[in-house]
Amino acid sequence: MSAIAQFSPSRARVHATADPAWVRWGVTFLGVGFAAAFLALPLGVVFQEAFRHGAGGFLAPLRDTSTRSAIGLTLLVAAIVVPVNTIGGLAAAWATCRFRFPGRRLLLALIEMPLWVSPVVGGLLFMLLFGRQGWFGAWLIAHDVSIVFAAPGVVLATLFVTFPFVARCVIPQMQAQGFAEEEAAMTLGASAWRVFWKVTLPKVKWGMTYGIILCNARSMGEFGAVSVVSGYIRGQTITMPLHVEIRYNEYQTTAAFAVASLLCLLALATLLGKTWSERRLARAFRAGAEAIPAEARS
Amino acid sequence: MSIAVRSVSKNFGRFAALHDVSLEVAEGELLALLGPSGSGKTTLLRVMAGLEFPDDARGRVFFHGRDVTDQPAYQRRAGFVFQHYALFPNMTVAQNVAFGLDARPRRHRPPKAEIRARVEHLLGVVQLEGLGARFPAQLSGGQRQRVALARALAIEPSVLLLDEPFGALDAKVRKELRQWIRRFHDRTRITSVFVTHDQEEAFEIADRVVILDKGGIQQIGTAREVRGGPSTPFVTEFLGLGENI
Repeated sequence: MSAIAQFSPSRARVHATADPAWVRWGVTFLGVGFAAAFLALPLGVVFQEAFRHGAGGFLAPLRDTSTRSAIGLTLLVAAIVVPVNTIGGLAAAWATCRFRFPGRRLLLALIEMPLWVSPVVGGLLFMLLFGRQGWFGAWLIAHDVSIVFAAPGVVLATLFVTFPFVARCVIPQMQAQGFAEEEAAMTLGASAWRVFWKVTLPKVKWGMTYGIILCNARSMGEFGAVSVVSGYIRGQTITMPLHVEIRYNEYQTTAAFAVASLLCLLALATLLGKTWSERRLARAFRAGAEAIPAEARS
Repeated sequence: MSIAVRSVSKNFGRFAALHDVSLEVAEGELLALLGPSGSGKTTLLRVMAGLEFPDDARGRVFFHGRDVTDQPAYQRRAGFVFQHYALFPNMTVAQNVAFGLDARPRRHRPPKAEIRARVEHLLGVVQLEGLGARFPAQLSGGQRQRVALARALAIEPSVLLLDEPFGALDAKVRKELRQWIRRFHDRTRITSVFVTHDQEEAFEIADRVVILDKGGIQQIGTAREVRGGPSTPFVTEFLGLGENI
């Protein structure tokens, strides 16, 4: 019996699971080639076009007022959307992980809805609600409040599209860790507020960071939903992605690519931040797994 | 009576965890809640701590004659020790132990130097002197559970509730720690309730044992009483007494 049990040493396993060399090389070549052709090449083209007329040609369009207002609006939208969706995402994650209530599964599905519905639909939804012909249209006109074709609409559309990120990143971490530490803190006399800051937040901070980075990137880069509610009013409701589109349609290629390159830099910064927080998250998961003794994990 | 539970029922969905349970724990007693998994023993302990609440208004919990049913966990000052320690992994051992003191409202909070002295003292009590700067991940299971105990004792609890406190430990450490707990209890006489599914553990260290099954109390008594006269067929079978007849 023991001879059979000891029969499969690591050597045999290597042969059994290793693919032939041509498969390994072929798949690697395909993967790298695909990434180079469809990801790296466009990125290179963007920067090449942006610097076609030298550094001066790159900087000039960044100085004009409409570009500046587009950058300003994009930063403003991100500054509002990221904190709001961080708080909302944490609350949604907390509610769905901590409590069992009727409609919990529905809420979980609802959190992800903006990911599987086209952003254009999100934009149209706000038109339907707040547009001139919309549900609240008459009331808004009577009270002289503009939401669509104004900055609030841009903020709302972006909120909608970027809501899932923080919640989706935090939920798996919360589920994996459970709530025993929170309960311990409660029995030690800590208020709910203190439990959140001292116990819950440190536990989920890397998942949250990861979600914030994704949320920020998407809120600055969102096009579809924003383009529906924006109304393209220059200097007022144009964000950076819309600005790129306008400049490109006006055959101002260098200007379009200059702003596009800024968005690409944002993407690269996001990639760095994402990689870094992913690593910390993986480490947190490992530490969490060690903190729970083996008997409890099975 | 130090802890009294009256007519407590608790359901989770369609599962009846506790069905009309009443129990009194004497001052200074060390009581064991013993039963198979699903018998409701942990739920009963959590109801005492304020981590779960009775389903209906008939169910009441009293600490030292005071009705604490409507108080949430953070107002009850019941020291609670969890099976898997539930230490705060991002804090040092000393910070873990100090947590309950730091959490007090400003006017009841001892000065920093006093908190430090008390933490030192408690680490001495649980025989972990000099380990205050370590993180929980750097300790063994037995050490972690003693940190959890020191942390619960720091709030000067009026009662001590332990949920399978030895459950996650290996056999040798488990045996040492439970004898240590018994000696500790003899010294302090703090009213304590612990949950276990291990009858040897229950009978070895508890003053009285409460045997539960399917959300109800089957029998309460000392080791001699329960073993001498099991009151229901379940108790006879659960304790394995039938084989001796």
